[in-house]
Amino acid sequence: MLLIHCPYCKESRDQSEFSPAGEAFIARPESPEGISDEEWADYVFYRTNHKGNHWEQWVHTNGCRKYFLVERSTISHQILQVAPFGARNSETEL
Amino acid sequence: MRLAQHPSHQVDYSKSLNFIFNNKRYKGYEGDTLASALLANDALLFSRSFKYGRKRGLMAAGVEEPNALVSLEIGGRYTPNLKATEIMLYDGLSAVSASNPNAFDMRAFIKPLHRFMPAGFYYKTFIKQKVWAKVEDRIRAFSGFSKAPTEEDVDVYDHIFHHAEVVVIGGGAAGISAALEVLNNSQKERVILVDERSQLGGELFNEFTSDEAAMKWHKDSVNRLLSFANEDSERFTLLTKSTAYAWHDQNFIEVLETITTAESLTSSEPQKARKIVHRIRAKEVILATGAHERPMIFEANDLTNIMLSQSVRRYLHEYGVISGKKVVVYGNNDSIYSTARDLHVNDIECVVVDVRSSEDPIEIVAELKDSDVKVLQGYSIVKVLGTHQVKAVEIKQTKLQGNSWQVFGDTQTLSCDLVATSGGFNPVVHLDCHNGAKTYFDEVSQSFLPQQERDNREVCGAVAGVGAWQDAINDAKNKAQFTLNALGVLSELTQEILSENYSNYFNVSQFFTPKEILNKPKVFLDLQNDVTTLDVALSIREGYRSIEHIKRYTAMGFGTDQGKTGNINGIAVAAELLGITMSEVGTTTFRPAYTGVDFGAMAGREVGDFFDPQRYTTIHDSHVASGAEFEVVGQWYRPWYYPKTGENIHQAVHRECLATRTSLGMMDASTLGKIDVQGSDAREFLSRIYTNAWMKLAPGSCRYGLMCNEKGMIIDDGVSTCINDNHFIMTTTTGGAASVYSALEMWLQTEWSDLDVHLNSVTDQYSTVAVVGPNARKLMKLLCQDVDFERENFKFMQWRQGTVCGVDARIMRISFSGELAYEINVEANYGRYIWDQVAIAGEKWNITPYGTESMHVLRAEKGYIIVGQDTDGSMTPMDVNMSWILAKDKPFSYVGRRSFSISALCAEDRLQLVGLLTKDSSTVLPEGAHIIDNKGKSIGYVTSSYFSPILEKSIAMAQIKGGLAKMGETVLVKIVQKKQGLKEIPCEISSSVFYDSEGEKVDGNE
Repeated sequence: MLLIHCPYCKESRDQSEFSPAGEAFIARPESPEGISDEEWADYVFYRTNHKGNHWEQWVHTNGCRKYFLVERSTISHQILQVAPFGARNSETEL
Repeated sequence: MRLAQHPSHQVDYSKSLNFIFNNKRYKGYEGDTLASALLANDALLFSRSFKYGRKRGLMAAGVEEPNALVSLEIGGRYTPNLKATEIMLYDGLSAVSASNPNAFDMRAFIKPLHRFMPAGFYYKTFIKQKVWAKVEDRIRAFSGFSKAPTEEDVDVYDHIFHHAEVVVIGGGAAGISAALEVLNNSQKERVILVDERSQLGGELFNEFTSDEAAMKWHKDSVNRLLSFANEDSERFTLLTKSTAYAWHDQNFIEVLETITTAESLTSSEPQKARKIVHRIRAKEVILATGAHERPMIFEANDLTNIMLSQSVRRYLHEYGVISGKKVVVYGNNDSIYSTARDLHVNDIECVVVDVRSSEDPIEIVAELKDSDVKVLQGYSIVKVLGTHQVKAVEIKQTKLQGNSWQVFGDTQTLSCDLVATSGGFNPVVHLDCHNGAKTYFDEVSQSFLPQQERDNREVCGAVAGVGAWQDAINDAKNKAQFTLNALGVLSELTQEILSENYSNYFNVSQFFTPKEILNKPKVFLDLQNDVTTLDVALSIREGYRSIEHIKRYTAMGFGTDQGKTGNINGIAVAAELLGITMSEVGTTTFRPAYTGVDFGAMAGREVGDFFDPQRYTTIHDSHVASGAEFEVVGQWYRPWYYPKTGENIHQAVHRECLATRTSLGMMDASTLGKIDVQGSDAREFLSRIYTNAWMKLAPGSCRYGLMCNEKGMIIDDGVSTCINDNHFIMTTTTGGAASVYSALEMWLQTEWSDLDVHLNSVTDQYSTVAVVGPNARKLMKLLCQDVDFERENFKFMQWRQGTVCGVDARIMRISFSGELAYEINVEANYGRYIWDQVAIAGEKWNITPYGTESMHVLRAEKGYIIVGQDTDGSMTPMDVNMSWILAKDKPFSYVGRRSFSISALCAEDRLQLVGLLTKDSSTVLPEGAHIIDNKGKSIGYVTSSYFSPILEKSIAMAQIKGGLAKMGETVLVKIVQKKQGLKEIPCEISSSVFYDSEGEKVDGNE
């Protein structure tokens, strides 16, 4: 059971208040009709399933209902940092 | 046998308790466990073993006990497979063996065959030969476990949540010391000390007779802790009889507290919890979980009265109980001498057998020899003699040559009635490993120790490989200082000088696994699952190398004790046979829970009415008054059908459907999900998430929409109403409301944050009464004067604002039955009033309330889908023959659109939704039945099936491979009938619109 800090509520709350919402920084292609089936499938289906520090989306379902970003170690489940949505758009950008 | 009372005893001889075990009456004392009380009564037999049905007695005194499984109490209080060693005695307790040792047992009867039943026996004999299904029940009845409970649990269980700066797990010398150190050196830090026993002290009691300093330190320290608990309860919480059974991520610890007492079982009001799950979120964790002793191995090591040496000591010191008169103490470390000394002090005859040769004799050995206790060094027990109980041991000389043990010389026999063995200690690393830590093998203690450094946790005492109680106390103080530092509390360490009487138990000689013993039958490693050295050898011969595979092939460590005593010997045997080191073999994975947890305790109060939220519409009481039967749809209690006296569901649905089709019906539609969509981009948003066009929908109109995910699969449908250009109200399916709402929020927050759209769930804010049938317009005219209901002025798929019976209402002319229908939406609290007014006004047209079952029939007659029933998350709009709803010219590529052109979604043999008519129109197909082609292969299944009252025939909807191109073809539906068995029903594939295919009914009567 994780203890998650909501960057909007600014409080650490039990995981049961939140729902996971998949890998972060998966942008919807701007013109879906202009790309190949493979590229579209990559967006819809394929995820990195990264071992190590991983950016993902969580939503404070039973709280403020906001989606936000979480960097979590998939090995130790330690949460390294959280950020409001839009604070960054990729793993490297600050 | 019970000894005279001594200050170390934790039982109170002045308070006797009566109890029943295996239908016999016994007496014990307050402070006893069921195990100690039975042992005091010389009742040594506790169970029969899992596979061979061998009679077994106690081996240990704590949670590591493998044999003494019992079922506690009966009826609604029945609890299966508890260990007798963890049940605190109370007056009137009643228990039976999980598998009665005194009853006739087929497995013991076929004893000569046991050697033909090695690991994998059941699999090879029954499963491979495909006869398992026939014999499974009989074989399972043999197994040495309790029967499953048959009655509802009458007890109450609670959950309590805690937050603490420091949690100390384990209340032995180290745990007490650590908790005190933190409390003494900090001001406001909250501390919780958790211990599984009823009295703090752990193994320290064992030192009481030989060392007064131990007794004094224990008394002072426990008193100090109790005064903290009493005087500063905000800061210090003491949880005894409480087992920390799991340690999850980020220091989330689960603890099970047992409160079973005579009072809790007999008093009725108010009912107190029998067990409590404490959920603790801690900043820092100090593990002082101690160690479990492991046995030495030898032939016939499962006979009754072969016990762990420290457990013999514990029964002696804590309960004043000993189960033999002549004891052989056998082992490979110095703890056996302490046991011998304590037995000798209590005038119990004993002989010490030490596998180690004496090169550097320690003081205690000389003391024992001086007091005429026979000490045999360089000897080992090779075999135990006796039928069920130990009568004698056979010993041989032993020496360590290089890395392997040699057994040699003549066999000597020592008569005895109790064997106390110690093969070293297994630190209780379980919790640390639950939370991801690794272990390493330590050569000195011959044990797997927890890794040294971890964030937010310290280990101290025996679990950290500290083998003397004095060292454990100082180690704990030291580690507690690290914890204080981590919390930013500054303090100074003071070491305690405790006593000179010093004995380190953790200098352990190499695992005693000579070939002479490993090759013998009945050398048990896991007593609960009857796993022997030969089973491990067989699994290695059959090619298993990983200890995880050996475990699964032999079932070693799979019992309720999880191999706490036996696993490590199994690892040692595997290492010996594989010719590799302990470290290379490693351990199996430690997973929660550390000990058994009652399902009742996990559920807590969330049972019965509190299991799941129950949602009722504001009209609910009226449905109850009408005698409705209810069905649960996504937590909502929806009227299912309204039976009149003597009617069954079929008769009621028949009546409801016909009344609605021929005159007038009414339905409570309040449970449909409703989402309020507002903002200047509301239109744009709807057209992005629905497949059809929304830009031109005028205020005053409604439109049906189909929602897909990016995979192109249907996830929801419903009607949205345009209030004005910036305001829409979307309806969703009853069950899908929450997930749709969440998905819409995700699009808005993570992808389209530039859109000016705001969502709010308004499901609970409105009550909806649907008035359905050809006479609906006449009724609406009666109820509402300020709306023009004329057919040409208030068209299908339009809505009007009006006043119904004096209440502001939005009236939508939409239909889920194909009939003329109006849905009256009012502020939720007026729901019951409007419902009742509609019912009264509709009497002259015989208005008939109908439930979800009739709704399903009416919509199926029209071929309308129900998302989740006719679709399953793998259906596209094309699959359900709804290509008409896919907009071709929307500029934005709406959600799911791109996927429609992927080849797999365009394949011709996809499952497609069609109608299905049985050749015999009275046969109603079961939903879910498979449809087969002429070769008997499944080509799809039935999704919806009803008898249509208006059409007087059976109708069904089905998903069939390439079904849309097979109109008019005949297929077979395979069903099982109770008497006739398998039957194939011929059906014709048809359009799924069965009734009013021209859509003439939607305008109703004049």
